[in-house]
Amino acid sequence: MKSAVERLAVWTALAGGLVLVALVGLTCVSIAGRALSGIGLGPVPGDYELVEIGIGFAVFAALPWCHLNRGNATVELFAPLLGDRLNRALDALIDLAVLAMAALLAWRLAVGMLDKKAFFETTFILGFEIWQAYTLCLAGAVVFCVVALWRAGESLAALRGARA
Amino acid sequence: MSNLEIGIWSFPVLLALIFLRVPIGVAMFGVGVVGSVIVNGTPLMMLAQLKHLTYGTFSNYSFSIVPLFLLMGQFATVGGLSKALFKAAEAWMGHRPGGVAMAAIGACAGFGAICGSSLATAATMGQVALPELRRFGCSGSLATGALAAGGTLGILIPPSVILVIYAILTEQNIAKLFSAALLPGLLAAAGYVLAIYVIARLSGAAGSPTERMPYGDRFRMLLRIWPVIAIFAAVIGGIYVGVFTPTEAAAVGAAGTGLVALLNRGLNRQSFRACILGTMSSTGMIFLIILGAAVFNTFLATTRLPQELSVFVATQALNPWLVLVLVLVLYLVFGCVMDSLSMVLLTVPILFPVMSALDFGLTPEEFALWFGVLVLIVVEVGLITPPVGLNLFVINSMAGDVPIGETFRGVMPFVATDLARVVVLVLFPVISLALVRALY
Repeated sequence: MKSAVERLAVWTALAGGLVLVALVGLTCVSIAGRALSGIGLGPVPGDYELVEIGIGFAVFAALPWCHLNRGNATVELFAPLLGDRLNRALDALIDLAVLAMAALLAWRLAVGMLDKKAFFETTFILGFEIWQAYTLCLAGAVVFCVVALWRAGESLAALRGARA
Repeated sequence: MSNLEIGIWSFPVLLALIFLRVPIGVAMFGVGVVGSVIVNGTPLMMLAQLKHLTYGTFSNYSFSIVPLFLLMGQFATVGGLSKALFKAAEAWMGHRPGGVAMAAIGACAGFGAICGSSLATAATMGQVALPELRRFGCSGSLATGALAAGGTLGILIPPSVILVIYAILTEQNIAKLFSAALLPGLLAAAGYVLAIYVIARLSGAAGSPTERMPYGDRFRMLLRIWPVIAIFAAVIGGIYVGVFTPTEAAAVGAAGTGLVALLNRGLNRQSFRACILGTMSSTGMIFLIILGAAVFNTFLATTRLPQELSVFVATQALNPWLVLVLVLVLYLVFGCVMDSLSMVLLTVPILFPVMSALDFGLTPEEFALWFGVLVLIVVEVGLITPPVGLNLFVINSMAGDVPIGETFRGVMPFVATDLARVVVLVLFPVISLALVRALY
C-alpha cells in the first residue's frame, strides 16, 4: 500500500517538475525570440499565461509529495516534552486536519472549475479555456487527498498500536 | 465578541496550534477558515472565496519566480561549481591564519550568488569544505559553526527566496530589494571572515593554513568560476536593466545552472530526479504556507485588526526606533523556534503597515527596502541559533563525529557578528540604501 501511494506521489511530483523544466525552456526561447525581434522572430505568444498555468499545476503536484515526506514547516520545539502517546495522538489529529484541508481544497477547486466552465472563461491571449487548467490542478489536489488519507490512516493505526 | 477581538484572539490560537506541531501553513489556513466563518456568521463567504483563491495563489505570475529559483539552486548543487568556488577562495585566502575556514565562507558567498536558499548552500558547501577543513586540522566546532553560518549567505546574498516573498507582500521592486541586500550580504561575509580571523589568532582551533599560491595560479583558479559570475550577472543584471521580468530571470538562472551541471557531468538520470523532487518538496512547503497566509490574512482584513493596529501605533507618538528594536528582537526570539519564511508570511502583512506609519526620516520606498533587509537578516539568524537552527543540524549530521553541543558553541561567534551587523544596519540605513540610490 505504501509503495503504491508513494509511487503516485512521486510520479505526480515528477510530472510537476518536468512542467517546471519545460517552462524554463519555454521562457528562454521566448526571451531569445524577443531579443531577436529585429530579424522577424518574436516572443512565444501567451508565454506568461503558459507560465501561470504550468506553475499552478506544478504547485498542486508538489503538495502530496511534500506531505508524504513530512516536508512541511513545523515547530518541533515542544515535541520532546509531550511524551510518546500524546505525540502519536497529535500526529493523528494533525494528519486528519491535513486531510480535511486537502478535501476542502479539492472540493472548492472542483466547484471553481465548474464555474469557469459554465462561464466559458478563457485566457486573454491564447484563448485557453481556464477550466482545463483547473482540471489539471484538480488531479494534483486529488492525489493530495489520497496521500493525506493514507497518512491519516497510518497515524491512526500507530495510535491504536500504541494503546494495545 | 467583536470582530476586532476575534482578530486579536486568533493569534494565541494560531501560535498554540503551531507549537503543537501543526504544519504552519495548515495552522494559518485552519484559523483563517474558522475565523472567517465566525466573523461572517456563515461559511458561504469562505466557501466562495476558496473556489478561486487556491488556483489564483498558486498560478500567480509573481510567485512563479519561487519554484524557478528553487530549481536554479538545486541544479547549482550538482553542478560542481561548489568545488571550483572553494578551490578559488582557498587559492586566495588559504595561506592566511584560519585561511581554509575563511575560504569556506568566501565560497559560500559565491554560491549564495546563484542559490537563494540557506539549507542548499550549507549542505552543498559542507560536502566540499568539511573534509578539507578537517584535513587542515580545523576543530569540529569551528568547522561546523563556520559552514552553518556560511550557509546563511545563500539567502543573505541575492537572489533570495525570502526577499522575493517580502517584495510581493509589500509590493516593492524585486530588483531594488536585491540591490539593497547586496552590500549587507557582503558585510555578513566580511563579518564571518573577521570572526574566523580573531578565533585563529586566539586559539589553534582554525588549524593550519595552506601553502601560499603564486598569483598566476590564483587567477587561473578564479577563471574557473566564470559560470557563477556569468549566471549571477545575467540574472541580477537582466532584472536590473529590465531585459526580463524577475520570473524570466529565474528561468534563465535555472537554465544556466542546469546547463553547467549538464556540461560538468553532474546531471544524470538519478541526480536530475533528485533535483526535481528536491525542488518540488520545497515548492510544496513554501506554497502551502503562502496559501495559509493568504487565507489567514483575508480573515484578518475582515476583522480590521491590521488597520486598527496601524492607526493605534501611529497615534501613540511612540519612539519609532524603540518600536523597530522591539520588532527586531521579536523576530530574533521567534526565529529561534520558527522557520524564516513562515515568520515573514505571518508577520509582514501586519507589521509592515504599522512600521511604515512610523517616521524614520526615509521615503516610504527607502523605508520598505531598509526594513526588508533588516527583517531578512533577523529571520536568517534563526537558522543558526539553537535549538532548531536547521543549518546547524544539516552541517552537524554531515560531519558525523562532532557532538551537536560543539556545533552550537562553534556558531556563537558568527551569531555575534550577525547581531553586531543588525545594529550597524539599523544605525546606518545608508549601507542598505547606497547602492539603490546609486543605481536608480
